[in-house]
Amino acid sequence: MDEQELIRRSRQGDGEAFGQIIERYKSKMFNLAYGLIGDRSEADDLAQEVFIKAYYALPKFQFRSEFGTWLYRIAVNHVRDYLRKNKHRLDELSIDKLGETIPGASDASFEERQLTDRRRRLVQTALRRLPEKYRTILALRDMQRLPYEEISRLLAISPGTVDSRLHRARKKLKEKLAAMVGGQGGDYGL
Amino acid sequence: MDCKQTERLLLRSFDATAEDGSRAVLEEHLAGCPGCRAMASQYGLIRSVFKNSADPGPLPYFRERVLAKLREQERVAPVRVWLTWAHAAAAFSLAALILFGAGVLLFKPQEPVELSQLETLFYRNENPLSDAAGVLDQKGAEDKGMMLIYASADLSRR
Repeated sequence: MDEQELIRRSRQGDGEAFGQIIERYKSKMFNLAYGLIGDRSEADDLAQEVFIKAYYALPKFQFRSEFGTWLYRIAVNHVRDYLRKNKHRLDELSIDKLGETIPGASDASFEERQLTDRRRRLVQTALRRLPEKYRTILALRDMQRLPYEEISRLLAISPGTVDSRLHRARKKLKEKLAAMVGGQGGDYGL
Repeated sequence: MDCKQTERLLLRSFDATAEDGSRAVLEEHLAGCPGCRAMASQYGLIRSVFKNSADPGPLPYFRERVLAKLREQERVAPVRVWLTWAHAAAAFSLAALILFGAGVLLFKPQEPVELSQLETLFYRNENPLSDAAGVLDQKGAEDKGMMLIYASADLSRR
């Protein structure tokens, strides 16, 4: 069934059709939230809330944009609200509380997997210490790999602004990491 | 090209927005600048962390949990609508009660106005001169006097 049909049926209250929409987009919505929050359980809750919001907003969807872009917009706004409301609590989370150990490639050694995991946590911690607008653009471009034009539509900024903001965000992230690892940079290769 | 320009170009190269000519210049600078090479390596590592760290994915039964929440919300929706309506009705009733109370407190019935005799006659659409005309038409002075006495007595009765 094509996406437009799924949307039409979902609008009429067809749970099965909306279930298929959830299946198609759940990873993208979760990954966006996870990239911005860094906590699996909270990212899962946020992704659920995004779908619930989207379900009730479906009658307002006019098919003028891609459904995925529309859904991303809901997700970005929802996660931004969450970040704003929980700013202090999230800032206090330590590196060790961030995320969880994710099994890496099976052929990687235990040490390699440990190092990769540690690096990932460090990058996520540094990411969380960035202003929200830099965090969002990094999540959309470097994690979700969305094209400039889509990011521009999502955030309602020009592609030129996407470019300059992304440039600043990457620089800031590197600076934060350098400040965090300090003399231990070599241990992580950062 | 200086190191600042190199950094800018390097970041552009991640998005394939750097032109081929610029890439050659970038590579040339990196080859001769250990500081920029270290910087490029750090950026590369951050990018690889983004690229290679597998996202754990949502918790199991994600779809089922979302649909269950939606069903739950649909189930409580009529109650929520009723509650919203009840809140609105309560607010409206309270506002109406306050307005009514204020009206009662502010409204004072007008005191009855004491009309003069002349005003009373006009109010009753009676000509105050009609009685006097009859008296003044009398020929005899005695009759006229008597009529005036009766008329004044009559007016005071009214």
